[in-house]
Order: sequence, then C-alpha cells, then structure tokens
Amino acid sequence: MKTIAILLIVLSISAFGQDYTELINKVDRATPGDSQFLLRGYAHSGFEQFGENSSFVGGSFNPIFLWRQSDKLLFEAELELEFEHGETALALEYANMAYQLTENLTVRAGMFLLPFGTFSERLHPRWINRLPSSPLGFGHDPIGPMRDLGIELRGNAKFGNRSLTYSIYTTNGPSLNSGVDHDLEEDEAGMLNYLNVEDNNANKALGGRLAIFPFSKPSLELGVSGQFAKVGNHETDYEETTANLYALDLSYVNNLTFLKGVIDLKGQVNSINVDKAEYFSDEDSSFYSFENQSQVSYIQAAFRPAYVRNSFVQKLELVGRYSQLVTPEGSHWETNQDQFTIGLNYWLDWRSVLKIAYQVNGGGSEDTHAEEEESDHGDESSDNAILIHWAFGF
Amino acid sequence: MKRSKKSIIAMVSILIVGSTLMSACSSQNTAPPKSGAQLWGENCIRCHNAPSPSAFSDNQWETVAMHMKIRANLNSHETAEIVDFLQMAN
Repeated sequence: MKTIAILLIVLSISAFGQDYTELINKVDRATPGDSQFLLRGYAHSGFEQFGENSSFVGGSFNPIFLWRQSDKLLFEAELELEFEHGETALALEYANMAYQLTENLTVRAGMFLLPFGTFSERLHPRWINRLPSSPLGFGHDPIGPMRDLGIELRGNAKFGNRSLTYSIYTTNGPSLNSGVDHDLEEDEAGMLNYLNVEDNNANKALGGRLAIFPFSKPSLELGVSGQFAKVGNHETDYEETTANLYALDLSYVNNLTFLKGVIDLKGQVNSINVDKAEYFSDEDSSFYSFENQSQVSYIQAAFRPAYVRNSFVQKLELVGRYSQLVTPEGSHWETNQDQFTIGLNYWLDWRSVLKIAYQVNGGGSEDTHAEEEESDHGDESSDNAILIHWAFGF
Repeated sequence: MKRSKKSIIAMVSILIVGSTLMSACSSQNTAPPKSGAQLWGENCIRCHNAPSPSAFSDNQWETVAMHMKIRANLNSHETAEIVDFLQMAN
C-alpha cells in the first residue's frame, strides 16, 4: 500500500513537471523579443459643400509603420492612400530611421517631416487637426516646407524647471520653378517645389527649429524656425538664387478651472523669401520680374468643456480659426486670400472625432492662372464651405 | 502683407519676452520631479488628447512612446516615466 502511494506521488509530480515545462515553453514563445512592430495611423471620411457643389469625400487612410529595433533604434514610415481623380493614389509621407545618441539627443535620416513650425510636423493628421480643413497654405502643396530627404539632429535641454527643444537638419532643399522646365507649369515661375527626391543642385538646405517652454508646466511653447538654401537648377542662370524661409509658431494648451474646460491656442506664420529673378513669359515673349515673397499665417482657438458634469457637453469642442495666404504681387500665381472657419466637434473617444465646420473665404486671385492654382490647393477655394468630417486615429 | 508683418512682430515679441522670463526663472529652485501621470497629462495634450492607458498593451506602449519621444522632443527620463505610468494604469 505504501509503495502504491509513493508511486502515485511520483507520477503526479512527473505529470505536473511536464505541464509546468509546457507552460514555460508557451510563455517563452509568447514573450516579445527586442524587435517590436506596430501599425498605427489615421483615416477620415465626410461630406463637403463648396458653394453649389457638394460631395462625399475621404475614404482615405494613412497607415503608419513603426519598427522598434531596440531601445535606441526606431524606423517610422507613413503612407497616404486616397482616391484622386477617380484613381487610387499612393504617396509616401515619410520614411526614416532614428537612433538615440544620448538621453536628450536623437539623430534621424531619410525622409522626415520638417520641424518648420508645428503644423506640418505635428498637427496635420486628421484626428489631431481640430478642423476638417487645413489653414490656407498649410494643406497639400503648402507655402513652406513640409517634408524632405536628409539628416537631422534633435533633442532638448533643461534650464531649471524650464526647457527648450531644438532641431537642426540638412536636406536636399527646395527647387525653384524657373518657368522653362518642361515638366513644370510655366505659370508657376518663381514658385518653390519643396520635395526634391533627387536634388537639383549641389547645394544642401540648412534648417532648424528652436522652441522654448517658459513655464514649468509645458503649457506654452514658442518656436522659431528657419531654412536656407540655393534653389536654382545646376548650371542655369538661376543657380545662385537663394531662398530664406522663416516660421514662428506658438502653442498654449491649459486647463481653465473657472471655465471647467481646456483651452487650446495654436498659431504659425511662414515667410518665404526668394531672390528676385527674371522669368520668361511665353504670352508676350518677354522677361518679367517680381519681389518673390510669400506669407501664410493662421491663428486658431479651441475650447472643450471637458470638466463639466454633463457627459455629452464634456465631449463637445468649439473651434475658430483665421488664416491668410499672400503670394507675390506681379507673379502669375499672385493671390491674396483670407479665410475664417468656425467648427463644432464631438469627441467619440480620445482619438475619434466628428467635426462640423463652416468656412468663409475672402479675397482671391487677380487672374485665371492663380485661380487654377487655388483649385490645385483644394481647400483654398474661393467658395464658402460646409465641411463635415469623421476623423479616426488608430 | 501688412497684417502678416504685424503677426511676425507680435510673435517675435512673445518669443523675446518668453526667453527673458525663462532665463530669469531658470536660476530659481528646481521643483520636485514630475510623476509619469503628470508628464502624460501635460505633454500629450500639447498636440492631441491624452491617450487612454488601456489603448495599448505594455509592449505597444514602449513603441508608441519611442515614436512620440522623437516627435515631441521628450527626453529619455520623461518618456520612461510616462511609459511606466501607462503600463501600470492600462
């Protein structure tokens, strides 16, 4: 009897050991390695009415691929898939690799969103942008650089309880449309193309951004950006033409306890200055010139009563924005527009929002060339608009 | 154009005043280090709503945080504190 009992105990321990080993093996297989892949992104759909024209829009999405190789190495890439002129368009928004050099300093290389102000780098995704449209001159084909190929150092520094952030980069830089290139619009002579997959000259753009957080709580951010480059094609009359680009930005986000809500102020001014040059006009077979200076700016305020008791009201957000676009007087793409947009948002969760906005446009271009340019800019139409979007971050 | 120039002048003025304030205050006593929850609440809303801790798993938060560290120019200490908070709260 005693022998049988011992035998049963031994068999039980043996069986438990086998189960335990299997369990450990399963856990080992489930444990993630050092490499981690994550698919994130955002999407939107909606309805837009410009004047008498209306259409359902969207059906587009932007997948973001994140590959974390180690605690120091990260690869990020974003695609944009959308319907354009009846076809599916695929675009590479950015693709770059980053390496953390020190606790406060990171180097990255590839195609990256440029720290020229904050809208293009941080605020343009549909679920982050508080309004269905981008400010004038900040959407597709923006007045100012949005992304480029190159290498960048970025980091931060602490001064007591205050901090500053910095970025410095060198990239291919913008190229100048001289009006004689066959693959570019002649009417856009003097305009800058901000994405050069293959550089048009030996010069590289140098740029950066410096931002300060004057208070211990990072509620206020003030930034200044610059980019400097020769923009003319190699071995042409425009080879020495330079462009000096500047941007100023501000952000103030804070809880207002007396209003039981969160205030979010954003603003940015881009100033684009290109050397004066002569361009050939096919219309009258003569040269013409103009002061090549463009400016875009916007200021936006949003308020969300996030701390009121009513669960419906706390998900609402009221937004207002004023933006302005001024392109060179005397150019074929001359325009002077401003725009006011007011919107009401309903947050379904922290990254999914229903946005309704009414947009009033003022000013406009002075000739047909610029009107064509406006339509290329999409959201810079001269018609007033009603915009309804559902934006979704994931 | 005049309005834009005024905007630039206004923003430069704000930048100068801000820089002066920062340099004047930087020599004062440093406050105690901020918690992960505080850093999460203060930094995420600079651009977007603060994310729900339950939105991602522990491992996913490490990748998300590394992405955001670069985008928002956070330092390693701040990022680690935020990740610890999110992993604890999810």
